[in-house]
Amino acid sequence: MGAYLVKRLAASLLTALLASMLVFLLVRLVPGDVVAQMMGQAGGEAAAGAMREFFGLDQPVYVQYFRWLTQVLQGDLGTSWTRGLPVTMLIGQAFLVTLEIGLLTLFVATVVGVPLGIVAGIYEDGPLDTFIQSINVVGLSAPVFWVGLMLLVGVSSMFAWSPPLRYVPPARSLADNLSILALPIASLAFLQIAAYSQFVRQNVVSALHQEYVRTAVAKGVPVRTIFFKHILRNVLIPIVTFMGLILIQILGGVVIIESLFALPGLGRLLLTAIETRDYPVLQGALLIVVVAAMVVNLVVDLAYRLIDPRVRVS
Amino acid sequence: MTDLSHPRRFGAVGSLTRRFRAEPGLVIGTALLAVIAVVAAFPGLFASASPFSVDVGASMLPPSAEHWFGTDDVGRDLYARVIHGTRVTLSICAGSLFISALIGGTLGLVSGYFGGWADQILGRLIDVLLSFPPIILGVIITGVLGPATVNLILALSVVYMPVFFRIARAGALGEKEKTYVEAARSMGISEPAVLGRHVTRNVMPLILTQYMILFPLILQIQAALGFLGLGVQPPVPDWGAILEQGKDYILYAPWMSVFPGLAVLVTSLSLILVGRALQKRIDQR
Repeated sequence: MGAYLVKRLAASLLTALLASMLVFLLVRLVPGDVVAQMMGQAGGEAAAGAMREFFGLDQPVYVQYFRWLTQVLQGDLGTSWTRGLPVTMLIGQAFLVTLEIGLLTLFVATVVGVPLGIVAGIYEDGPLDTFIQSINVVGLSAPVFWVGLMLLVGVSSMFAWSPPLRYVPPARSLADNLSILALPIASLAFLQIAAYSQFVRQNVVSALHQEYVRTAVAKGVPVRTIFFKHILRNVLIPIVTFMGLILIQILGGVVIIESLFALPGLGRLLLTAIETRDYPVLQGALLIVVVAAMVVNLVVDLAYRLIDPRVRVS
Repeated sequence: MTDLSHPRRFGAVGSLTRRFRAEPGLVIGTALLAVIAVVAAFPGLFASASPFSVDVGASMLPPSAEHWFGTDDVGRDLYARVIHGTRVTLSICAGSLFISALIGGTLGLVSGYFGGWADQILGRLIDVLLSFPPIILGVIITGVLGPATVNLILALSVVYMPVFFRIARAGALGEKEKTYVEAARSMGISEPAVLGRHVTRNVMPLILTQYMILFPLILQIQAALGFLGLGVQPPVPDWGAILEQGKDYILYAPWMSVFPGLAVLVTSLSLILVGRALQKRIDQR
């Protein structure tokens, strides 16, 4: 386990390093630079030159990269070019918002999606299964942001209510916070419930067709015991693995949902940084996204090994 | 000898209903896709109004007999825009996905078949691309390069290239151990020819199925980028771009958002149904 962990971590670190390099290069190779965009028509050549020097943009790209990397390794992601605040602080605030949305969505998707999938799987090809599967296909087909828009219209026309425009952190008022997040979470969860229940259904169906289940039925083992001991136990492992996948998907979906509902999370930070060419914020936010996805993958992998002894042996 | 156990008594209609009972998803999906393809090919047949003609006096009219889907903020007919948007949106998706299948698939085949250091390096690079959630990769590329159709196609081509790479690589790895490859080699056929003529042909169904499975996903990303203002730019009718335009009026003119979103939904749905049926066949083989 120890050796495996070290190998995995090393590979992840290398990938993160390469990813950061890719982002760094991509941002800088693009024609038209941040200074030109910031200064617009105003200011002469001298002022622009001074500004480039101030941001370190007069140096060759590799020098800029190593300078940035040394800082990052010391836990400093630099200072935002447009807001003058430390990037770590901006990301820290935004990350909490995104994390709350992500975890709550995961919770809703699991609590609703898993039972739906189990029911669909048990009644394979029955009317209930067909019904659940039809809803799932719609859930997988509807664009997340469009579901958000439709919920907004539906809620506002039915209850004459629309979510407040200003974000309130949970520490100030949990009720207000949740009322703001309800629609974004519902729109993200709609897709993930569909994905989750689809996945669980497949696993339940294949578990049901195993010979040991048939044997248990033939032996007269009570249905409840078969369900809990033979089916649920075997379905549990893929459910855990899939949780990680869902969380990473939510991380992607959040970008659009945050922009739609004006939530100050990581996705919005990223979009604003792209718009304003705020390189330090963009690089920092992307690094966090990549690392977060890697951590989720790693945790899933380790959990998998803990739950399933067979993986450890191989 | 004729098979008497299954007499063909029902004719064409009968076989269609039988097929529908066996695989309802495939039949519904194929039928919907056929309609969508005809709309994309001949939008003029379905919508006579111009998707570009502005009429400020008729802005934000709700759906009516005259304007089936209503009108937008500058009075353009939304039905015409959604119908004409079919070709714009779907050709961008199909083209981008084709580029990723071509490049990703070729690299994957070569990488898996020959192995070695090139395989190692490519594998690493693919891992790097895979470390970004797909939609975020799309947002960075279009955001940094700037909103333009060329950049959108570039971004969409990159997003799922790693998936094609992996599928093709795994396929080539599996195939190269098989007896027919060994036989071809022992007959003196050169390695590139074995790969090009024999291995590729056997990996092709996997790539095509993947193409169908990824199509609804790339459509979602295309629409999302359009919605963020990073995709096709107005006044070109594109489903994502229409949605982007409608979001500011969502509470006053919801029809501006309802119909282009439904277009994405129905297209995705039919693609998912067909993709699933194909996947099932591959799995059964």
